[in-house]
Amino acid sequence: MRRSDKYRVWVILAVLVALQFSVRNRLGNERTAPDFLLLALLIYTIRSQPGRSAAAGFVVGLLRDALTPASFGAGALAHTLVGYLSAWGKAVFFAENLFVNGCLFFAGTWCRNVVVALASGKLKGGQLGWELLVWSPLQSLTTAVAGVAVLWLFGRWLAIRLSES
Amino acid sequence: MALRADRYASRAGTLLFLGCVGLSLAAMSLPPAWRDPVAAALRQTILAPFLELQQQSELLRTSHSRFERVVAQRDSAALAATFLPELRNENTRLRVLLGLGQRLGTGYTPAEVLHQAAPTDPLTLEVSAGRRQGVRPLAPVVSPEGLVGVVFAVDAQTSVVVTWAHPEFRASAMAADGGVYGIAAPHGTEGPGVWLLELRGVPYLQAVPVGTVILTSGLGGVLPRGIPLGTVLGVVGETEGWERTYLVRPAVQPAGVTHVMILGAARNGADLHNAFPPVQETP
Repeated sequence: MRRSDKYRVWVILAVLVALQFSVRNRLGNERTAPDFLLLALLIYTIRSQPGRSAAAGFVVGLLRDALTPASFGAGALAHTLVGYLSAWGKAVFFAENLFVNGCLFFAGTWCRNVVVALASGKLKGGQLGWELLVWSPLQSLTTAVAGVAVLWLFGRWLAIRLSES
Repeated sequence: MALRADRYASRAGTLLFLGCVGLSLAAMSLPPAWRDPVAAALRQTILAPFLELQQQSELLRTSHSRFERVVAQRDSAALAATFLPELRNENTRLRVLLGLGQRLGTGYTPAEVLHQAAPTDPLTLEVSAGRRQGVRPLAPVVSPEGLVGVVFAVDAQTSVVVTWAHPEFRASAMAADGGVYGIAAPHGTEGPGVWLLELRGVPYLQAVPVGTVILTSGLGGVLPRGIPLGTVLGVVGETEGWERTYLVRPAVQPAGVTHVMILGAARNGADLHNAFPPVQETP
């Protein structure tokens, strides 16, 4: 593995973070646009150890909580769980396959939204149903499509285990 | 290449995970007096460049749409110039349609809404104006259609707005003719009435017809009088012989708001009824 490969991964993750704050608001409905920040976290987690992934998820979640105080702490919990389970599940079960990774992105986004919605306690009944059965699946789908596109375009760069670099 | 699970499931990793879960639960249980400074510090330090980037992106998007509008207006003007009387009529109509900003005159701060990718985004909104722009806590936030919410936390460059959809939002409200008073609050989370307001505490004998426009009453001193809240849809509940609760269709849907105006302290006690375009009462 070349030393420059390590930096390529971080460049891709940084670009995804930049996309979250610059391009996302132009991609249509806020509730269904892909979540590039979560995508960056998931791409990190599938190449990293569960413990580090959980810590990364906690940091990302806490930062997001600062932007949406209505659910402070819920985002940190959700991203921690998703980060840990994504890294653990990837190591134990999942194959190196584009479709499987797409499913992982979909499930990760939906689970994040489920945990945030439930843990925050602010959404109930009909609101919760619409969020979990309509808006979250749509956002999960767009995030998964964006993730598959990233892996398809930069898969060779991302075929690096960050934990070993 | 497949990764071995036993190598990945280290004790240190598990402890790190449990520690993060514990910290998350601790963050959820923090009282607002501790939670808000932490959130504000994160917004003003680590998140500041990202919020600046998002703000610039919003400005760029707005500039682009403005440019397209200007081009369209120029083309329209070129066409209209061939018909001067029509152009005069057009000018007259445009003067009538002047925006909320000109009707308000001064004493407000315009801001872009920086939507976030969270299910609770419509409950609290991040806006691109803060302490440096003169924003203060509890300042009313409006769009041309009516009330969006009130400022909850103020940072240097951004602010957090609690919208009317937040479960803890309350506003003293009245019918447009000032004949009926009550408390406006989010309707709740059950059934088809999600994302609606309700007008509570209306005396049983004071019926409010369907279609009545509901405005802020100005009581309490936080919200000025006369900001549209919504339109009455019907009775949603009643306490026999005592009071009625009415369902109200909100004037503003927070998820769709892109630009807002944050009113200044000088607006307290003012009647803003004339600043908003008249809402037609539907019988």
